Amino acid sequence: MANINSVDISRLKNGEVNLGTSIMAVQFNGGVVIGADSRTTTGAYIANRVTDKLTHIHDRIYCCRSGSAADTQAVADVVHQHAQVYTSVYGAPPTVSTAAALFEKMCYDNKDQLSAGIIVAGWDKEAGGSVYNIPLGGGMFQQPWAIGGSGSTYVYGYCDATYREGWNEQETVEFVKNTLALAMSRDGSSGGCIRMCVITKDKVERHFIPGNELPRFWEGKEIIGSVGGNGQQIGVVA
Amino acid sequence: MVSKAVETPNAGFDFSNYARNEFFGQRLQGIPKATSTGTTIVGVIFGGGDSGEEPGVCLGADTRATGGPIVADKNCEKIHYLTPQIRCCGAGTAADTEFVTNLISSNLELHALSQGRPARVVTAMTMLKQYLFRYQGHVGAHLVLGGVDVTGPQLFTVHAHGSTDKLPYVTMGSGSLAAMAVFESSFKENMKREEAIALVSRAIRSGIFNDLGSGSNVDVAVITKNGTENLRNYEMPNERGLKSRNYKFRRGTTAWTKESIRSLIVSEEIKSTSGAGKDQGGVEVVPVPTGAGAGGEEGMEIDS
Amino acid sequence: MALYHNQPMAHAQEPTAAPIEHRFNPYSDNGGSILAIAGTDFSVIAGDTRQSEGYNIQTRYARKVWQLTDKAVLATNGFAADGNNFVKRVKQRLEWYEHAHHKPMGLKSIARMIQTMLYGKRFFPYYVYNILGGIEEDGSGAVYSFDPVGSYEREACRAAGAAQSLIQPFLDNQIYFKNQQPEPGSQPFIPGNLPLATVLSLVVDSFTSATERHIEVGDGMEIYIVMARDRTTDDLLGEGKLQKGMEIEELGTLGEGQGERTFLVRQALKRD
Repeated sequence: MANINSVDISRLKNGEVNLGTSIMAVQFNGGVVIGADSRTTTGAYIANRVTDKLTHIHDRIYCCRSGSAADTQAVADVVHQHAQVYTSVYGAPPTVSTAAALFEKMCYDNKDQLSAGIIVAGWDKEAGGSVYNIPLGGGMFQQPWAIGGSGSTYVYGYCDATYREGWNEQETVEFVKNTLALAMSRDGSSGGCIRMCVITKDKVERHFIPGNELPRFWEGKEIIGSVGGNGQQIGVVA
Repeated sequence: MVSKAVETPNAGFDFSNYARNEFFGQRLQGIPKATSTGTTIVGVIFGGGDSGEEPGVCLGADTRATGGPIVADKNCEKIHYLTPQIRCCGAGTAADTEFVTNLISSNLELHALSQGRPARVVTAMTMLKQYLFRYQGHVGAHLVLGGVDVTGPQLFTVHAHGSTDKLPYVTMGSGSLAAMAVFESSFKENMKREEAIALVSRAIRSGIFNDLGSGSNVDVAVITKNGTENLRNYEMPNERGLKSRNYKFRRGTTAWTKESIRSLIVSEEIKSTSGAGKDQGGVEVVPVPTGAGAGGEEGMEIDS
Repeated sequence: MALYHNQPMAHAQEPTAAPIEHRFNPYSDNGGSILAIAGTDFSVIAGDTRQSEGYNIQTRYARKVWQLTDKAVLATNGFAADGNNFVKRVKQRLEWYEHAHHKPMGLKSIARMIQTMLYGKRFFPYYVYNILGGIEEDGSGAVYSFDPVGSYEREACRAAGAAQSLIQPFLDNQIYFKNQQPEPGSQPFIPGNLPLATVLSLVVDSFTSATERHIEVGDGMEIYIVMARDRTTDDLLGEGKLQKGMEIEELGTLGEGQGERTFLVRQALKRD
């Protein structure tokens, strides 16, 4: 079926559960912040509105999943198992780059069969906080920040304009939260609530932003200067 | 070019007729349609918290099986047994849901035996998702998996491609939207057992009446750490009324070209084999005459 | 490594290798079923009231059977939008006819007109199966059935729609006595002269049974009964003649009235 006229554009198999997603990871001094929306869809139907796309790989390594739910869960499960075996064999946790390399191998070797866009992030004692982006074909790119999923296309400009080096944890969390809220508001297949995770040497701390408490931006003339439901002034960028 | 014979795998499905069937499907009247359970299946977690009741899982299913627009079975069972404390509702291709749950049930039993403790719901979930992922969605089983283990009540959905979700209330099948509408408007945490059963049956009824793929009766299963209660046909809101005419045909309605009545039993011997201390040497043979009595040639009488 | 050397399936793959053309499809199928049975001096035309698309019910009450004149009733089935529009145009033509000729159109003329109207859209057909029932000029009960492009035929009975394959064999057996051997020495069966009570119960059983086994049939049923002039109504209106749950009303005459009477019987069907 290598006919140019019948190239299958939709990489997802028919009826497959899709993570039409907004995901993100940002490095800061001493750790990383990762975040994702919570929407899982099959066509127009939201199969899960509180999905956890921030998936545990090891004590200080997580990944953000986008693409096919089945494929990314399967890949994450395999890498999780490798990471456990690694710890038993070497008596030390794997580095983020090691985990990312495992993802990269899985995604590259099986690129014909997978639709998985994954961001691996975490903390290790060699590199501190680090972020690896593994997009669809199975490449691997270390980046200070990475965004992914269908919603990410809407917010590249925002990230380029906003990101600064040397942010602390709280500033980084705000950046992730605002970026995801903007992506979710524009992308129909992203939405729900925001889940975030701060990974440092000392902690893995989860943040949960319910759908009615998402950061809000300019949404139309009639609400400018009006007062939001919770008594706060809305339309203010953090 | 080196040619190689088509190898037959020694395990799993045999795909050797796939290309042939695709060809027939295009040239002839199409691929045969599998019976699908156009279905409403649901599950909720209840109890715990302030309810003062044992935490548990309540599963529900309708009982209609369809083949295209035709109702294939009006009262089929869609809540499948996995282990004493784990049940699985199936939607999708009937044969796949039946087979995959049987297989995993069997493997869970072996797992429990080898580990010396009951299998957990996550174990069942992992086995199911790994099996389904291997077949890339070709095994069309969409499942709601629920049960109670040492970690408490557990509820999952498993899609045919192998993805899973863990939620306090779930629905699947063609009636999942109708059922989810009920859950999204009425679900509460820490419901009482009776509340949970009522909510589940309302969700199933919503599927039965609003989704054409679902119909007939409501099946419910309630699982707590004290055991599983199977409420087969918990509600029957669609019983058929009386037909207005009687369609019994007069004897001789059907025309025939040839009549031939023969005895199926030609000869019969009865040997006594009972009694351990009894002399086994001499076998008592009771000859039965052929062509006598009921079933014999002379005594043949139908509908007497 | 190739699975085959000589590519035996090459021609089978041709259709899929061609560019896929995406085009608006103006038709859909709204399910449901209709049937009609003719008696000697009456005609019964019935349909269920469910309208669906795919697995969704669009409405539990949509009309499929329409009174056209004092002696003609039309049942439509298939694509509901086409059906409604077709009935609207038939009624308009009937009105024009009455203005031009100062009398309502006769049943067999309506049947012929429906043929020409359907064939007039031979290359963009109304996706509708029609069954016309009523009373002929000679006072006999009649049923005409049509295909979507106008082929038609007068019959003693006909089922159409989603459950046609379930109901028609039943009607063949019960109305035409197919596969039934008459009792030795008795009169041979003659189709088309069953009593009204028998016909009504066969209609009811057809729909309750189709509801059991076809997912697109259900919710409710409407049975139109057209009676020839001067025919007794005792077998319909008499005490205890209708089954439990049936409601009957007489539809007023549409024109001058030549004595034909039309009744409408409604009954609930299962809603699952």
